[in-house]
Amino acid sequence: MNINTWLKNLNIPGKPDEWEVKELFHSYNINTPINYLVKPGADFTNISLKSPYVVKVCNPEILHKTDVGGVKLNITSNLNTVIRNMQGLFPGSSILVEEMVPYTGIEFIIGALADPDFGPALMVGAGGILTELYKDVKFRLAPLEKREAVRMLKELTVADILQGYRGSNMDIYTLADLIVSVGNLVNDLGANFNQLDINPVVFSEGKWIALDGMSILNL
Amino acid sequence: MSITQDLKPLFYPDSVALIGASANPAKVGNRILKVLKKTVTNLYPVHPLEKEVLGISVVNRIEDLPDNISLAVVTISARRAVEAVRSCAVKGIKVVVIVSGGFSEVGGEGSLLEKELIEIHKKYGTRMLGPNSLGIFLPETGLDTIFVEHGDKALSGGGGIAFITQSGSVGTEALGLASNTGYGMRAFVGLGNKVDLTETHFLEYFARDSKTNCLAFYSESIEDGKLFLEKAKEASRKKAVVILKAGRTEAGQSAVSSHTGKLAGSDNVVNGAFRQYGIQRAYDEEEICDASKALSMLNIPGGNRVAVISAAGGYGVMCTDYIEQKETRIKLHLAKFTQNTTNKLNEINLPFASTKNPVDITASADDEIYVNSLDTVLRDPGVDIVICLTFFTIPAVTKKLVGKISAKAKEFDKPVITFAQYGPYTAKYLKEFYDLGVVGFSSVYRTVRAARFLVERAEIVKSFGEDNEH
Repeated sequence: MNINTWLKNLNIPGKPDEWEVKELFHSYNINTPINYLVKPGADFTNISLKSPYVVKVCNPEILHKTDVGGVKLNITSNLNTVIRNMQGLFPGSSILVEEMVPYTGIEFIIGALADPDFGPALMVGAGGILTELYKDVKFRLAPLEKREAVRMLKELTVADILQGYRGSNMDIYTLADLIVSVGNLVNDLGANFNQLDINPVVFSEGKWIALDGMSILNL
Repeated sequence: MSITQDLKPLFYPDSVALIGASANPAKVGNRILKVLKKTVTNLYPVHPLEKEVLGISVVNRIEDLPDNISLAVVTISARRAVEAVRSCAVKGIKVVVIVSGGFSEVGGEGSLLEKELIEIHKKYGTRMLGPNSLGIFLPETGLDTIFVEHGDKALSGGGGIAFITQSGSVGTEALGLASNTGYGMRAFVGLGNKVDLTETHFLEYFARDSKTNCLAFYSESIEDGKLFLEKAKEASRKKAVVILKAGRTEAGQSAVSSHTGKLAGSDNVVNGAFRQYGIQRAYDEEEICDASKALSMLNIPGGNRVAVISAAGGYGVMCTDYIEQKETRIKLHLAKFTQNTTNKLNEINLPFASTKNPVDITASADDEIYVNSLDTVLRDPGVDIVICLTFFTIPAVTKKLVGKISAKAKEFDKPVITFAQYGPYTAKYLKEFYDLGVVGFSSVYRTVRAARFLVERAEIVKSFGEDNEH
């Protein structure tokens, strides 16, 4: 999908929701869980995803979904009830249903922001809910080459986990590819871009998957 | 025109006009005239009322100056400075250094006056350094427009470092201090408010200058950030680029709600960007002087394995701790000597010396033991850098040790960094080392830190090699 088309078609101009951010990811070969969007008032009785499921509120105004009960994980039955309850909790919001991705090993974060002096800058580091506690993150400017993405990863305290530490099979080179893709994405967004979080990014069955995606654009 | 051609009249002017050549010794213009008089042959003091200042006849109006003046230095107050710069531009003077303050740094009317300078630059193409610039100092020719004391005698020996600073006082104070123990400067440039010439222009100029081997910057804000980085990367392929970046500008996001925004600060982005573009970062004025001194004078090491020689056990241990200290930026390791080296060290040294790394030659050592031990560890293939901690208080060591260590260090390509700490004579010994081409510092910490900068430089050069493989 062309980035301008994507910008033009946003449900709320300048405020992409998670579904829309993930649609953009797909254009840049960034993997996400297989997902389905339930728009407000739409029928959802025929969702053909595989169990277990994740159900999330999908509203760009709600940035920290977990804090407000907007995420339900590991759902194996009564999917429709869970969706309905979520709709009750967030009336008027879309609901995102995803296949839950199995993974082991640590979570990463890949982010980006528009630096006032240097333009789009990328961040990678130890992710998950403790990201801001660990502060194990490194920055580079976007766009960047794969070699530089690998160097960036090797500077992390957790770098060894990407290089076979205690039998870890997490692959540094495909993670570097993902960083390069994110760099291209934010660079292509140009002046529209402000901030992006992909957190967590996990390694599942040989692939890096963006489980969540949040982007702030300049209005 | 290339920047090299554009800046030639600044660094190598055929003629200089000084606007504000006062007879009053308390005035900036008087002090600059005194200094310029020493080296500039075609010097034209300009002042509306004076006839003669310091024995040089004065031109009363800029319009009356001869044609084709290379460089004008403007020292008068802001409002009058703008008019003087305009007259210089009309007259066709190539470069104007505006020493005067009272522009955007004070805000209000000053900012408006600064806008006028920008208009003049755009209209006439006159190159401008400043305003609020300390000007330039070029030890090679003695050209000097700086109006404050700046250790010029100590610095006038010259060297390979181009020092480009946004703040005048950071430059002069830091360099004044550094000059006590020797600091080899190619050029000093005070940028001031950067209406025209910015750090990027001087980066480009000195990157191409064959007499510069290291570029050091003090920056609070970097104009055209990305362009500067691109040029710095180009420069860094050939010479070290070190920046003291001060002033943490806030990211400026309307609402920093992402993890990335919260973790960025502007400083983390700067760190990452500098690494990406082959720039080495210093955090204070002492560090940038130490780093540029080492990078300018010493070879790039083949690796990060350090040998330590000390006549005082405690200092050797301290040095080891600093070397092994976990540093995310760059890792150093204590070298492991070959059996051959150990045997030789045992042979040279007194029986109670410790010949493992760090080598403790003990307080019974003399000049010969020092130099022979240095020679031995330098020959070890597992050693990339040697730190030699010298002590002049111990009985058998003489003043000649400085010369002997320096001569030995010169025989090898591997970098040797010395340490000396001898009360009020500390600077004297370090300066002697410097004069003989050896880099030394007055604390173990600074000595090890200099080694880290060398290893970091080696890694940058290596990464350029990897980039070229593609």
